Amino acid sequence: MTNDTMTKGMSRIDGRLKVTGAARYSAEFTPAGMVYAVLVGSTITKGTIRSIDTKAAEKAPGVLAVITHINSPKIAGYQVEPGKQEPAKGTYKLFYNNKILFNGQPIAVVIANTFERAQYAASLVKAQYNAETYQTKLADNTAKAFAPEGDGKKTRGIADAWKTAPVKLEQEYIIPSESHSPMELHAIIAKWDAPDKLTVWTKTQGVQDTQDGIANIFKLPKANIQVNSKFVGGAFGSALQVWPHEVAAILAAQVVKRPVKLVLGRADMFTSVGYRPNTWQKIGIGATTDGKLVGITHEAAGQTSTYEDFNEDPVGVSRSTYACPNVNTVYKISPLDIGSPTWMRGPGEATGAFALESALDELAYALNIDPIELRIINNAETDPDSGKPFSSKYLKEAYKLGADSIGWSDRKAKPASLSKNGWLVGYGMGVGMFGAYRDKASAKAIMMANGTLIIQTAVSDIGPGTGTAMVTIASDIMGIPADRIRFDMGDSSLPQAPSQGGSSTTATVGSAVYQACTDLKESFQKLIGNGGTDKPDYVEVLKKNDLPKLEVTAAVSGGPEMEKYAMYSWSVHFIKVLVHPATGVVKVDKAVCVADSGHIVSPKTARSQIVGGAIGGIGMALMEEVIIDHRYGRLVNNSFADYHLPVNADIPQIEALFVNKPDPYLNPMGAKGMGEIALIGMAAAVANAVFNATGKRIRELPITPDKLVGMEDLLES
Amino acid sequence: MKAFQYTRATTQQSAIDAIAKPGTKIIAGGTNLIDLMKRGVIAPDKLVDINQLPLNSISVNKLGHLHIGALALNSAVAEANLVKDLQPLLAMALNAGASPQLRNMATVGGNMMQRTRCAYFYDTTMPCNKREPGSGCGAIGGYSRMHAIFGASDKCIAVHPSDMCVALAALDATVTVSGRKGQRLIPFTEFHRLPGEHPEMDNTLAPGELITGISIPHNNFAKNSYYLKIRDRQSYAFALTSVAAALEISNGTIKQARLAMGGVAHKPWRLFDAEKALVGKPATEESFKQVAEIAMQGAKAYEYNKFKLKLAPATLVEALKHAAGLV
Amino acid sequence: MEDEKDYALPGFDTEAKDNSRRNFLKQSTLLTAVALTPGTAIKAADMRLDEKIAEAFEKMPIKLEVNGVAHSLSVEPRATLLDILREQLDLTGTKKGCDHGQCGACTVHIDGHRVNSCLTLGVMASGKKITTIEGLAKGDELHPMQEAFLKHDGFQCGYCTPGQIMSAVACIREGHANSEMEIREYMSGNICRCGAYPNIVNAIQEVKEGAQAV
Repeated sequence: MTNDTMTKGMSRIDGRLKVTGAARYSAEFTPAGMVYAVLVGSTITKGTIRSIDTKAAEKAPGVLAVITHINSPKIAGYQVEPGKQEPAKGTYKLFYNNKILFNGQPIAVVIANTFERAQYAASLVKAQYNAETYQTKLADNTAKAFAPEGDGKKTRGIADAWKTAPVKLEQEYIIPSESHSPMELHAIIAKWDAPDKLTVWTKTQGVQDTQDGIANIFKLPKANIQVNSKFVGGAFGSALQVWPHEVAAILAAQVVKRPVKLVLGRADMFTSVGYRPNTWQKIGIGATTDGKLVGITHEAAGQTSTYEDFNEDPVGVSRSTYACPNVNTVYKISPLDIGSPTWMRGPGEATGAFALESALDELAYALNIDPIELRIINNAETDPDSGKPFSSKYLKEAYKLGADSIGWSDRKAKPASLSKNGWLVGYGMGVGMFGAYRDKASAKAIMMANGTLIIQTAVSDIGPGTGTAMVTIASDIMGIPADRIRFDMGDSSLPQAPSQGGSSTTATVGSAVYQACTDLKESFQKLIGNGGTDKPDYVEVLKKNDLPKLEVTAAVSGGPEMEKYAMYSWSVHFIKVLVHPATGVVKVDKAVCVADSGHIVSPKTARSQIVGGAIGGIGMALMEEVIIDHRYGRLVNNSFADYHLPVNADIPQIEALFVNKPDPYLNPMGAKGMGEIALIGMAAAVANAVFNATGKRIRELPITPDKLVGMEDLLES
Repeated sequence: MKAFQYTRATTQQSAIDAIAKPGTKIIAGGTNLIDLMKRGVIAPDKLVDINQLPLNSISVNKLGHLHIGALALNSAVAEANLVKDLQPLLAMALNAGASPQLRNMATVGGNMMQRTRCAYFYDTTMPCNKREPGSGCGAIGGYSRMHAIFGASDKCIAVHPSDMCVALAALDATVTVSGRKGQRLIPFTEFHRLPGEHPEMDNTLAPGELITGISIPHNNFAKNSYYLKIRDRQSYAFALTSVAAALEISNGTIKQARLAMGGVAHKPWRLFDAEKALVGKPATEESFKQVAEIAMQGAKAYEYNKFKLKLAPATLVEALKHAAGLV
Repeated sequence: MEDEKDYALPGFDTEAKDNSRRNFLKQSTLLTAVALTPGTAIKAADMRLDEKIAEAFEKMPIKLEVNGVAHSLSVEPRATLLDILREQLDLTGTKKGCDHGQCGACTVHIDGHRVNSCLTLGVMASGKKITTIEGLAKGDELHPMQEAFLKHDGFQCGYCTPGQIMSAVACIREGHANSEMEIREYMSGNICRCGAYPNIVNAIQEVKEGAQAV
């Protein structure tokens, strides 16, 4: 496959629908007779419901039903195994009993004939509780943290070897909980077509995983569940599982015997669909005086809920990013009386890279070696953890590309020595890495008599432009223009595809599309005979053979190469910040992100994905923090006025650069993922730039003005 | 949201008559009221829409006093040439607040009437003396990062969230209100109140009184005014601290000064002592640092807002530097 | 005096006039009786008669001109313009992102000005001209801003996009698109979690510089 596909720079295939408002997201369908459901959340953090008064709500105008743990139909999948007291740990079980496990936990769902009425009636449901003492603060609960299954302590070489190094440091790094906060509220419309047959329109990153999830919870045959999710208004990991609100809507539709729409409120989005967990980390790192790493010890403790063990292995980055003979990692999770965390863009690595890449920067200053140089000195030529060769790695080229573009040569090695118009100027960089995967997937390619190619697979597109990339691949193989290709997706009845997550969609589903198109073209070539032609006239061939269409379904999975090679995508983020010394205000002046993510299939959307991830990383660095008042166990910033996401004024032009060299092994396109690496490493790049500007090292995110205020002397000196 | 009755007032008198009844609220832009109603913080039985009252004019009289009707939109005021020319500080403060969309909805009167953004006030399951007198103050001992460092009480440490009001407090504006007993004038600095024993009362408006407009007296500050707002992101966020600074400078010497702070108190915090101290001083960073110390006298921080003890004077010095043209 | 003039629209209660809904209730003996007697009210609730009472109390007639089409609707005063557009008129291009005026996804134009429809009561928009994302294109011909968003990839998931585009059009019309910095500030009322801001700014600059009619 060449770099110059015939559709290079192609605009999104679904762009027109999106700019005209015609794209319909999960809450935007209207099955006949649809009514509205609104959840009621608990107001205590832990304990039991003593009584729950639903009378006023039931009598409110338009109310059809109020469901609580008392009158909820039994959910077949929630039953306890014989001989056990409690159901196995896992996703929160709606209306299972009278126990409160976290603040804001759904305790009732109110169904009414209009949204306004359902919402008001929900406010009339009043519960009496027996409250119990609880723990919501990670810092107070690291002692009871335990090693999650499969992770925990890992040692390569000698543990704590960094302590023997001539140049060494040990520091703690903290990230607060962060909210995915996709712009689209999580929403579902549930419609029972028969007592054992269900259709849902729901926000999900994987229609078939949602189909499986619902089948397990309601003990329905998978084939009886139709899941639709054609447009997803962002998710970033928040839509990778079936959440309680989805169960609530399905139950509600069963009870009122009508289609039910349930849209979470923005406040609920902070407690009901996961978050990146608050995590404490400690890194000990040491090197020889010429910068060769001697050892790294990376410890982490993250929060989870009492009912689910969430494990994202944030310390893995320290085992694989750099060539270091001695690395030991310790990871623990601490169960708190709080809702479960979940995967969020760059799960594990984003958290770990903030600590590792900050520590590397600190080490660079301690050694008086340029931070890029330090990384090049310790560049891993083979995967230090597995010993396997990398399938591809062009990180050194990425450093050069980014350094040139940001103007790294203008950086001063001594912190706080550059200023412009009363603002301190600083440069920083950080590296991101994330495993490149390829999963199982199928795709169907259909050539219609009129020359339209239809590609079908059950993938979702949460925003990166999956359809656009798939059409690009199909167009390239079939040799037909993109506007003759229709891409069907977001429908559980289509050929198998995994959830969109872990930066693996293009590699996985793209391979299936690649194979289906390749096979379809071959079928045409066989029909033509004599080895066919490289550019078949599909319409002509169908006509000649009197065929209404020709279709092929291909199923693919990762090959043996996945065992032979260590596969990663890499990124390097470069940041130039301005810091106002007196007020502590930080402005990102320039950002450059370089991706080593194989061949770039869809340049325009790839660029947007890198820029978007970078902005997510800037948010993580400068403003995002979920705050709990631990006296109540309740969030105090569960709104977009108080939980700050970056706005347009925060973001300068961001340069996205690509090494754009194909990976020879992961998939036939040579593509690797880029959704995660777009963000991973960015928070450290910003923190490192702030240090370069000010000499102040911020090890607890976010870097808000209060943490930097009062440095006016820096400028005067 | 609780169901309510909605009516439109066609005369000022009918609006005044209507709001005398308990459970009735005036609605103009609605940007804060609807938000609060959705959260159940306020649940009126009846809303009286006053948008049809002819109270949206922006004019200047022979003495150079600027008059702005209570229903003038925040965006209209910020964009008005009269305002930009005569009182640029007000335009700057307005543009620092909310978003373009919200400024297209919010009115001057509504901006003055907006409630605190304290999280404990907004969450009806938490204690809050402002929302429910006697229930306690959640912010004291709680997450107090956004809260007051001046004039708070043991009942309430909330701050007034407006930017516009900080400028109006600095500019010696006067509020015109109408009630059943007729019209009266309230100096802007006396319009909002400190929480004291009654944080449920944000201002000194008597029951049944309606804001009809504000006036700003003529001044010579247009050349040397600046509104500086420090926040957690570059736009669309409430102030950590803000400063409205207006100077009259002659040959490098300060003739007159007006200063007010936002994000630090239950009302726009006018800095009278610091203003006096500036008069006669050279317009230099050194002078500004001296008065910043005066400005901070009596400041008291809570667990999470100690940074404001540094940020507020830094904001003041920086705003003054901008106003004086030093930046 | 100016304030003597009756600005009210037909069908609206005003503080100066008789209350038409009150009159309606007086005429409706059954409903009046039910409304006045607590015991009956409970019984009425069981019979779902409360629904009718609620209808009478709660709903008001409004007239909205949306994208040039006149609509006569009966709505509860508490229904926001956003919910009316989405749930009653099936104009789902206008998005609900926060429902509290904190994200801009619901941005529409009322009488040509951009506002947050989530904080606008439908009854307050009565008699006004509303433009939503569905009303921007002329048939198949996209508005220049829509074209520019496509060209510059000013979105990913597309959910904030209608609000961004409505805001972007207003940004130029207001005269606030004169520099990159100004555009960034005046587009800050529209949050994009996918992070398309630089592309959005580029799209707006192109439309502005192209001097096309917006």
